[in-house]
Amino acid sequence: MYTPPLRALIDELGRLPGIGPKSAQRIAFHLLKVPIEDALRLSDAIVSVKERTTLCARCFNVAEGGELCDVCADDRREATTLCVVEDPRDIVAVERTQQFRGRYHALQGALNPLEGIGPEQLRIKELLVRIEEEGITEVILCTNPNLEGEATAMYLARLLNPFGVTVTRIASGLPVGGDLEYADELTLGRALEGRRLVEP
Amino acid sequence: MSLLHLYLQDFRLFVAARFDPDPVGTTVITGPNGTGKTTLLEAVAYLGTQRSFRGAPREAMIRAGGERAVIRAELVRDGLPLLVEAELAAVGKSRAQVNRQAVRTRRDLADAVPVTIFSPEDLGIVQGGPARRRDLLDDALRMLDPKAGAVLDEVERVLRQRAALLRQAGGHLRPDVASTLEVWDDRLADAGGALAEARQNLTEDLEPRVVESYRILAGAGPAVSSVADATSVGVTYRRGWDGPLAVALSAARADDLRRAVSTVGPHRDDLDLELGGRDARVQASQGEQRCLALALRLAVHRLATERLGAAPILLLDDVFSELDPDRSRALVHELPPGQTLLTTAVPLPDGVSVATVFDVRSITGGQQNPRPL
Ligand SMILES: [Zn+2]
Repeated sequence: MYTPPLRALIDELGRLPGIGPKSAQRIAFHLLKVPIEDALRLSDAIVSVKERTTLCARCFNVAEGGELCDVCADDRREATTLCVVEDPRDIVAVERTQQFRGRYHALQGALNPLEGIGPEQLRIKELLVRIEEEGITEVILCTNPNLEGEATAMYLARLLNPFGVTVTRIASGLPVGGDLEYADELTLGRALEGRRLVEP
Repeated sequence: MSLLHLYLQDFRLFVAARFDPDPVGTTVITGPNGTGKTTLLEAVAYLGTQRSFRGAPREAMIRAGGERAVIRAELVRDGLPLLVEAELAAVGKSRAQVNRQAVRTRRDLADAVPVTIFSPEDLGIVQGGPARRRDLLDDALRMLDPKAGAVLDEVERVLRQRAALLRQAGGHLRPDVASTLEVWDDRLADAGGALAEARQNLTEDLEPRVVESYRILAGAGPAVSSVADATSVGVTYRRGWDGPLAVALSAARADDLRRAVSTVGPHRDDLDLELGGRDARVQASQGEQRCLALALRLAVHRLATERLGAAPILLLDDVFSELDPDRSRALVHELPPGQTLLTTAVPLPDGVSVATVFDVRSITGGQQNPRPL
């Protein structure tokens, strides 16, 4: 039904998040029609993001070419407050609220045994090292307001207890079961502002 | 609450079909066996409960050769149009939308399309395992109490996470397993305790209605057995643990690790059913059991009608063929008025005023040659 290259493209597109077989087919046929320059621009963008984007050595946000990320490199950010998120894309969501002036730590996921993710698979050890080395005084647990995010927050709160830092959790009020990235700036801003002390 | 149009795509034998029931009264669905009468009810019930009331796995509801089945319903609720869509996938995630908004949890659908189903398989509520009785309670909770519905979803998810963790632990309580297990146990203790309480409250609300319904159903027609007169009907929710769930969970931890299953929690609870002081599951006649199963369904339906302010869509799948005429009449008499879809293989009891008769072959054209939309 398809030529082998077309089949391969549809298969690859279908592996992307949120793209089902129908959409993959639609995008593939669209790409067939566009001028070669447009297709090359897309493929270049994919290659260069893979080649030039790395994770920040300190906070695991996205960064360019092995450097620190923009937030870590910015001296004007408060150095003593850390906002712990699951993914770099959550950093984008929190930045959009303009409510937070500290730095971040992206765990690279949440506790999720079903997907084989335990504490070892997350950047938790690195977080603990940063608490001591950077003289952190407050850690805001900004994991997603769903079961896995809450479990991760609770786990971290217990782990952080002996360090004597203030541990807070963003306020409820975000849609339960949802993801930070879908929350609007206002709601997320209010959730940050209304954060509460966590009792481990 | 009123279902105006139902559209099916690759759902069981339907390639593409549309069904327009009477919006307020009773629609009788006719046709020979195997032409899809029950399937229409199954599709409506799926919207409300996200499962097959025939106990079929999701794949079985997808037409052979199809990748996914689609159920789309146009309803009216409180004068407002409601569009509910569900997509059943053979592989990957099944999805649902209400008014084009993705719904994340089953409760959102139960809330959008409240349904009550009566079917001959309901006998299994009394005769079968505890899961059937928990399903009865949980379906009712999803329909009646959005908060409890959210708790149910959380319990299910925590149990799956906990099971995965126990399997990965391989019987050993390593420190990393212990510390994460504690977190999941906390969530399970909270949500599981809340669920048991919600089920218990629901059971207390249902019991007087079950007693009343059983009296009416068993009292109609020939006595179901010698103890029928001595009916004291008892409906009691039974937790599988004593005291706080958190304590029970930590007491069971070693056992859970060794067996790699969660041995304590609301997923092991049961609803005890008694007739005349005896366990109805094993010590009642089949006639008594059938009456009790109907009484349980009827009790939920009446409670839902009171709480929601209108009767859920009533689905009666071949119920009358299992009941004598007097009991059939008694059941019909006790049902609050509302939209009803029914299939039957026997003449209808008096008291059912039929608004529309719908021959399912008009949309399937028999099994082989379905008419496209
Ligand atoms: Zn950084």
